[in-house]
Amino acid sequence: MSTELMSETVETEPRTDDAVDEASGDLVVEELLVEEISIDGMCGVY
Amino acid sequence: MDALTGGALTGAWELHPSVSLRPEPFGALAYHFGNRRLTFLRHPDVVSVVRALADHPTVDAALGACEVDERRWPSFHRALATLAASEMIRPRTSAGDDEPVQEAC
Repeated sequence: MSTELMSETVETEPRTDDAVDEASGDLVVEELLVEEISIDGMCGVY
Repeated sequence: MDALTGGALTGAWELHPSVSLRPEPFGALAYHFGNRRLTFLRHPDVVSVVRALADHPTVDAALGACEVDERRWPSFHRALATLAASEMIRPRTSAGDDEPVQEAC
């Protein structure tokens, strides 16, 4: 199976969504670890 | 039975054989050649865990082997559930599920 997808490097920043737990006052860190990407409308790009 | 239980995956899992991971500075791109879905894995740790799933009997065993801080496990559980829903990872049914390779991550 080919492992080559694209030649370009995709730039994105790791994102962390922080929220404060009102009950405990502790900082609750919610990490966005995966992001699904729609490629609809990309016909003609590849 | 391996399944989603309250958002957390139970049982043994593995990267779907139709999925290719391409390393990126932020983590990796996952592309499924069957359903043509594309997903960003936005942290190197989640890439390590996804690769390690095949060597461990449970998600939590893989998280532990990859030395992921337990405070981050809920986020990883949600991320892996998302990957399961899009068939990027699948329940593992092959023999040897009960023989984890603890050093693999």
